[in-house]
Amino acid sequence: MGFVKLVVFGFIGLTVIYWSISLFSRSVRKERLENEFDAEHPDGGASGARDAFIADGLKAYDASIRPKLIGLVYIVPTVVVAAIAYTINAN
Amino acid sequence: MQRVKTIFRVIVLLVLGLYFHYILPQHDIVKVTSTEIIRTDFSAFNRIFYAQADSGAAEQPTRDLRLINTQKQNTFLLGFIPRDSSSVMVYRNEDTGWIYPPYFKFDSADLQAEAANLARGDEWVVVTHYGWRIRWASVYPNAVGVRAVSGPDVTIIPWFNIFFFIFLMAAVLFVRAAWRQFRERSVDPLLDAAGDQIDEVQAGVAERKGRFSRWLGTWRAKK
Repeated sequence: MGFVKLVVFGFIGLTVIYWSISLFSRSVRKERLENEFDAEHPDGGASGARDAFIADGLKAYDASIRPKLIGLVYIVPTVVVAAIAYTINAN
Repeated sequence: MQRVKTIFRVIVLLVLGLYFHYILPQHDIVKVTSTEIIRTDFSAFNRIFYAQADSGAAEQPTRDLRLINTQKQNTFLLGFIPRDSSSVMVYRNEDTGWIYPPYFKFDSADLQAEAANLARGDEWVVVTHYGWRIRWASVYPNAVGVRAVSGPDVTIIPWFNIFFFIFLMAAVLFVRAAWRQFRERSVDPLLDAAGDQIDEVQAGVAERKGRFSRWLGTWRAKK
């Protein structure tokens, strides 16, 4: 029973962490894109150009490896738990 | 106010420090003298210092408790500075199960057998354990592993604790950065917008007041 509890609540907890990290990472990327655009276009650029630049940048970000690496949030704790359980119980 | 803040922080740090001292693994250098099993009736107070029944068994108000009796080398400063004296130390040997504390220990019976084997000889043993010995509450630290070593002066590097505190530091820094980002990008713009609205309303009120007083002024005598 304890194992089921661990899996269910662990999954819920890790999902919260996963979403926090995803939102944080995307937000940091968006801020960087905004700053990049503003540095290149001190006059503000053409209308709509800023939004298009940011949308393109975020699309590239979504396609990159970085958001997929956040999936490690699920894998690493599972491996750590398995490793601890093994080392503690191995003779 | 500053003093209240400082006191609050000290209390939080103290509680966290005690908690980590209780829950993180520590290593003692001992000689195992014997093993035994006692029947235990937990009280409401000392129950929280015990784990649960063996992980495959049902929980009852009363159960047997495995103990490991040892003669332990004394140390200063959490075991970092060895001393020449020794004293007795008794460890309990309980499964921690799947949940808490997260040692995932299911091999209490095997550990007891190992300890019994070590008790036959005169070997030096490193006991990995967590918890405290509180004599007036009949509380024992829980042994999670034993291994024979060549002598009492072995160097033990607490790798797990090192990595744990590095990880904890990283986690704290991440939460701080995430919180700041959230404030800067999500909360502050909302507050700014709300502030702007309040400013506009106030400006509108001021203007209407101005109009009203100007109109009043038309009734005043011209100087």
